[in-house]
Amino acid sequence: MVLELRDLGVTFATDRGPLRAVDGISFSVEAGRTLAVVGESGCGKSVTALATMGLLPPAARLDGSIRLLGREMTSLTPEEWRDRRGRDLAMIFQEPMTSLNPAFTAGDQVAEALRVHEGLGRRAAFDRAVALLDRVRIPDAARRARQYPHQLSGGMRQRVMIAMALACRPRLLIADEPTTALDVTVQAQILALLDELKRETGMAVVLITHDLGVVADHADEVVVMYAGRVAERAPAARLFARPEHPYTVGLLGAAPRIEGGAGRLASIEGTVPDLLRPPEGCRFAPRCPFRGADCARQPPLAEIEPGHAAACWRAPLDRVLAA
Amino acid sequence: MSEPLLELRDLKRYFPVRDALGRSRGAVRAVDGVSLSVARGTVLAIVGESGCGKSTLGRLALRLIEPDSGSIRFDGEDLHALSPAALRARRRDMQLIFQDPFASLDPRMTVGAAIAEPLRLHRIVPRSGEAARVAELLERVGLRPESARRWPHEFSGGQRQRVAIARALASGPRLVIGDEPISALDVSVQAQVVNLLADLIRDLGLTFVLISHDLGVVRHIADRVAVMYLGSIVEEGPAADLFAAPRHPYTRALLAAVPGRGIQAPPIEGDVPSPIAPPAGCRFHTRCPHAEALCREQAPALVGGEHRAACHLQDRLPPAPPLRDAEPGGDRLRRLQAFFQPAGTDA
Repeated sequence: MVLELRDLGVTFATDRGPLRAVDGISFSVEAGRTLAVVGESGCGKSVTALATMGLLPPAARLDGSIRLLGREMTSLTPEEWRDRRGRDLAMIFQEPMTSLNPAFTAGDQVAEALRVHEGLGRRAAFDRAVALLDRVRIPDAARRARQYPHQLSGGMRQRVMIAMALACRPRLLIADEPTTALDVTVQAQILALLDELKRETGMAVVLITHDLGVVADHADEVVVMYAGRVAERAPAARLFARPEHPYTVGLLGAAPRIEGGAGRLASIEGTVPDLLRPPEGCRFAPRCPFRGADCARQPPLAEIEPGHAAACWRAPLDRVLAA
Repeated sequence: MSEPLLELRDLKRYFPVRDALGRSRGAVRAVDGVSLSVARGTVLAIVGESGCGKSTLGRLALRLIEPDSGSIRFDGEDLHALSPAALRARRRDMQLIFQDPFASLDPRMTVGAAIAEPLRLHRIVPRSGEAARVAELLERVGLRPESARRWPHEFSGGQRQRVAIARALASGPRLVIGDEPISALDVSVQAQVVNLLADLIRDLGLTFVLISHDLGVVRHIADRVAVMYLGSIVEEGPAADLFAAPRHPYTRALLAAVPGRGIQAPPIEGDVPSPIAPPAGCRFHTRCPHAEALCREQAPALVGGEHRAACHLQDRLPPAPPLRDAEPGGDRLRRLQAFFQPAGTDA
């Protein structure tokens, strides 16, 4: 197992009291696999990613366990974590412009990562950087390496970010909404590139996204998060064929399809709960068409069949249909 | 057929580009010769990727920015010939909904005041009838009438977009342009707002121009679709036709890139070229898998009847692969989703 989270929790101290952004989540990812973490804003998916990277702000309190390549990470000092980030895990973000330094060329930024992590000299690092830019399919990489971020398109900048992430040959790549800021044709290119690199290197990928279409095409396993908790966990094909959490069912019906059909969209009424005052029991209950008195107690994430679990008293949902 | 409500003819708008020293560095050809018409009571979607000119076109259509050339006719009247006062009066018939509901509402105005502003500006109702009309508009967009006393920051993104829609409807417009009206919202909230827009369009008989990059939403509510690439329309036609049998290779590439239906072919390569120096000939030829010598030399005209495309090869291209409806959840999922009956009110 490359990454294993167990009962991970993240609490932020705020002016209005403690905010538990992630509340006891567990999942794991194997080498060469892509796990998608899907959910809407505020569900805790990005906080989970930052926790795994050791990048939470000091005001955040972490509990539970994060194991990377079998080693417990939560007890690491910031220095030790920085060292692991250089070698075992790397992350790419939604907006590459904010993660790239505008004052340095693309090649210099990739070379810098190589000099730090591999101890290469200036010249050797730049040559390797050009090779990496070529590997992320940047055409004319030697020329592009001498350009600054503002001279590159959004798609190119994301490729540069991916090259920087690959510089340390990570065993785990965390991609947080890597294509959300990109146009759809460029999104398809970047996701295809990540798939290829995963096959070539055998790294594990955690893909954080709000887009179930992206999940369907690129993930092996899926974790659906809602209000800081795991609502459902399943192999990707299984999740789309037989979703077992009402939230997943609603999400699958909420995005209109280009094949057309179906009059009104399934819409989940209301909005996500305020995590400073989360509802008792199941957090989705206030918006759930299947809610009942028992939902005042938090349902456990229970397996319906091996690898497929849902946190819902009504699961398997076929019982709702039979009723 | 009756006269279209909105008719754009050969609209052009270039934005000059200057360097740090103020020297001219050419121009962005944001909208480069666009002709379109929108029939009364129909929804036209303008789709394309960032920088294709779709937002500029929306603003030109309302004369919020001025075209360099071309004409805009609204309800048979040349908007360019109107005096500033006459144009202001006309504004009550044409409204715009923006992408970001956080930026489009004044934080110092209650929701009620924000909706009442256009009522006053265009003298829609007497002062005494204002509160009742505001309450009616709030209910129309699925908010409680009591919301009028609250402030924008008290609302979620989806609720704010409902307020922005109520404000746009206040003057009783005949034409509404929505510029990515749901793009900033979460998926589950997007569905609420898409359902609301579809209801309003139907119930009020609105003529609606939807500017969007989201092809699912476009397929869901548009009657006709225009696809833009680098300032020009490359294809335009009835929505069902255009999605089922796209003629332009760019439209086909856009549809193929929509995720969620399995990866059927490698994505088209490259980025959109700079609109300052667009390629000669067909502007798509640098990324087109079918391009020939002619495509590099001569710009194709937008030709055809109800369904038009600007491609030299449109009659010779292989048929577009059918859209594969990969909905593995099938009947079970549809039956479960039927429980998610939208009620309308969420505040």
